[in-house]
Amino acid sequence: MNQVTALDAVKPRAATPAPFFIRGRMVEGTEVRHKSRDLGVDFVTPKIDLDALIAPRTEPGPLFDVRLEEILDFLVETGQAMKRDKDGYLREAVNRISATNVLPRVMIDSQVRMAADYLNKRRLLEYAERNLGNVKLLDEWVPNVDSTGRRSFTRAFPPRLIHVLPGNSPMVSVQSIALGSMVKAVNLFKMGSSDPFMAVAILRAMLDVDPNHPVPRSISAVYWRGGDEAVERAIYRPQYFDKIVAWGGGDAITNVIKYLMPGLQLVSFDPKTSISMIGSEAFDSDEILDEVATRAAQDVGMSNQEACVCSRVLFVEGDRKQVDRFCERLHRKLVAQNAVSGKAPPLPRDLAEEVETFRMMDDDFGVWGIGDGSGLVVRSDEPVDFHPINKTANVVPVKTLKSALKYVNVATQTVGVYPPARQVELRDGLAGGGAQRVVRLGDAGGQSIGAPHDAMYIMHRFVHWIVHEDGFVSKA
Amino acid sequence: MNTAMTLDSQVRQLVSLVDAENPFDMAFSEVLPRQLEAINERFQDRVHKIKLLKNRAETGAITQVRRMADVVPLLFAHTAYKSYPEGWLVEQKWDRLGRWLDTVSTNRVAPMSLDGIQGLDDWLGRLGEQGHYVSCSSGTTGKCAMMNATQVDLDFAGHALLRGLVFGGLAPNHDRRMISLGQVASTPRNRATGRPMTEALSAPGVEPFYPQVPPITIGGITEMVTLRKKMSDGTAKPGEVARYEAEAAARAKAIESAVQQAADALIESRHMKLHITGMLGPMYQVAELVRSKGYSAKDFSPENSAFWSGGLKRAVLPPDYRKFIFETLNLTTERICQAYGMQEISTTAIRCKAGRYHMAPWVMLLLLDESGDHLIEPTASGELEGRAAFFDLSLDGRWGGVISGDKIRATWEPCACGNRSPSVGEDVQRYADLASGDKIACAGTIDAYVRGVT
Repeated sequence: MNQVTALDAVKPRAATPAPFFIRGRMVEGTEVRHKSRDLGVDFVTPKIDLDALIAPRTEPGPLFDVRLEEILDFLVETGQAMKRDKDGYLREAVNRISATNVLPRVMIDSQVRMAADYLNKRRLLEYAERNLGNVKLLDEWVPNVDSTGRRSFTRAFPPRLIHVLPGNSPMVSVQSIALGSMVKAVNLFKMGSSDPFMAVAILRAMLDVDPNHPVPRSISAVYWRGGDEAVERAIYRPQYFDKIVAWGGGDAITNVIKYLMPGLQLVSFDPKTSISMIGSEAFDSDEILDEVATRAAQDVGMSNQEACVCSRVLFVEGDRKQVDRFCERLHRKLVAQNAVSGKAPPLPRDLAEEVETFRMMDDDFGVWGIGDGSGLVVRSDEPVDFHPINKTANVVPVKTLKSALKYVNVATQTVGVYPPARQVELRDGLAGGGAQRVVRLGDAGGQSIGAPHDAMYIMHRFVHWIVHEDGFVSKA
Repeated sequence: MNTAMTLDSQVRQLVSLVDAENPFDMAFSEVLPRQLEAINERFQDRVHKIKLLKNRAETGAITQVRRMADVVPLLFAHTAYKSYPEGWLVEQKWDRLGRWLDTVSTNRVAPMSLDGIQGLDDWLGRLGEQGHYVSCSSGTTGKCAMMNATQVDLDFAGHALLRGLVFGGLAPNHDRRMISLGQVASTPRNRATGRPMTEALSAPGVEPFYPQVPPITIGGITEMVTLRKKMSDGTAKPGEVARYEAEAAARAKAIESAVQQAADALIESRHMKLHITGMLGPMYQVAELVRSKGYSAKDFSPENSAFWSGGLKRAVLPPDYRKFIFETLNLTTERICQAYGMQEISTTAIRCKAGRYHMAPWVMLLLLDESGDHLIEPTASGELEGRAAFFDLSLDGRWGGVISGDKIRATWEPCACGNRSPSVGEDVQRYADLASGDKIACAGTIDAYVRGVT
């Protein structure tokens, strides 16, 4: 067994093909071999034809003159084609991603179903309305006369976008595809090495609907190694694109930032940590405590704590004895989830070891469970230094929820509050500290249609706001 | 005198091989059973002393060490020595830090008077009075590792290095001037390790050269850690950041000055035999400067020697850097000693003539898979690749088993140099540097929002 590991380390394994999608056409090829540490396999792609990724600005994008209505209809049909998956491409993509073992198969399957359901006409329209106020701005030059009598026409003009996709959610792929299409953009998706398959599989479903439709013709999805200057220096230019839409932090964003310049903007979805704030009301009765622990576990454990909305640090108003009761209950609820969604991967060894050190220092810390991915709760006086992952909850006792506001910062995204009534007391302080979303405890995974994300209306940021000034309205 | 040396034991026998004529020529098949016996001896003694070890033994259900695979669950991650909450350091909670240190130490870190302790340096000083010689180092994550050691450890590290130098082909004859390059953090380990080498090589009456620059103190490293934490908490004021940036600029200047001073010292002492020690990065910079001042190999003694440890540490050097250093300072492969090790253990592996790092018999090399969870069993021939882990039987003040962050190629077959001990190829890489770098997720921490304090 160990011998096999050793040999595997030296001998290259078979590589999985990851085709490209370029302006509505599938491009197959196996010229370039890439290593994916996350996938645990190599994959092969065609060689990138850089010229094919670029359309000159003199040539209007395929969607520029297509009405939103028609785009929505096409997206809805794409959702249906995704559900049919007649050639099994999505199934194959799920197989490949589930090999990464980060999320169990059932969970990815359900995300793909949710992704298909996301392509719902009424909801997408509602999304656009909430983001832009008036969706006519996408189709027409909308007139306005100001209080001095000046007349202008405004249009949410289609942009040229590069989307640097995160690899941790099929939902993000489908959402980026939908929003990018609704704003009628020329879209280039750069896929990540942890999932170079899903975006292309979704786009393939479009070809089943109509291979010549302007939506697929305005989209390309390719892979190159993030930071590969041979590609990025050539195409990250304002002559070709208006905005780079990027997720994450660290190297991923540093790579992108160096190409920003006049005419090339960044729309960034920064790396986020979500938290919970639980008031002393949780201890009013045993039934309530149980209910609160169930909701907290839901926010912590959803998607095996891979997403930014998952709670990682829970501030609980109470004394240590009370808080320990909550911790014990929370641990039980996290473990109970495993029956439905499976365990998360075990904690990396260094993290597990840090938690074990805490266990030995029981004057200062409390630890419930072990770091095997089945659910772990660590109680500490202050938030721990590490980023809790793989179903790990860090519970911090506080005297009052307001005293926990000092731990809120610009990386704080979602804050789940119990009881719901106390959201009002906290929301200004949370927003002031940098947090971007306040929800009821247990509802971190919910989303009201078209609500701001990371402190912005995404479609509003995507489009190119253009004005046509038409002088003063004549008083005749 | 100490635990390691008073036990009439396999541990003692293996560790005392440091004084054997050539400890690196023992066959693995011969050493392995003795190492296993010795590690078991250590384990039985320490499992009740080192709390983290007890925890690991219980988790791994290990009660005896009989085979190499039994050692794996007992290894500490190299991050074990930085598993304390950083807030305690920043808020100077010495009592709590003491309790933490106790969990990774052989000898009890007893509660002590904390009166008058002004900072980390004071606390470390007070620990030293109790026989706990704690070395701190800032690692790749920026957090300081704190490693406890006894006097035995400090003495052994220096002695073993000197013996290694001899294996590496250098002859300590009190006949040269020591030239030390660049800045090294001032820690008990660093101070102790170099001393025997310096004493054995320096000619009588010839002062060793060290660049005259403010030492990198542990207190200084802590200030940086504190500021980074305050910046991520959002409590650091711009004035503090500006002061830090100015200090960082001053440190960069000091490094420049150290290079300058070392180049001058080399030129000034060029008529003497020299022994040059330092990291590869500064060594290359010094060589460049010496060259630019018009000196090269012909101006230096053909008996010069050098010692360096560690790899390039991310220094970006031209591919022919070795040749350039050799041709500037009149060095040859035979007259340099190169070592590979990690700060968590005392013994370094010395590079042989064939360019491989050899394991001393008192250090077990364990090759693991990338996750560090599984042993890759040694094979009688061929080279295997994986994560390096070591068990250093000489360690007294803390546990000897540590997993590194290094990707290595190891062999257990006899080396081309003629020695039979297991050896590690020269191309050591860090897993951290190999990460694909383009994994993107929406979840992440405030660390991504802190600029410039690393």
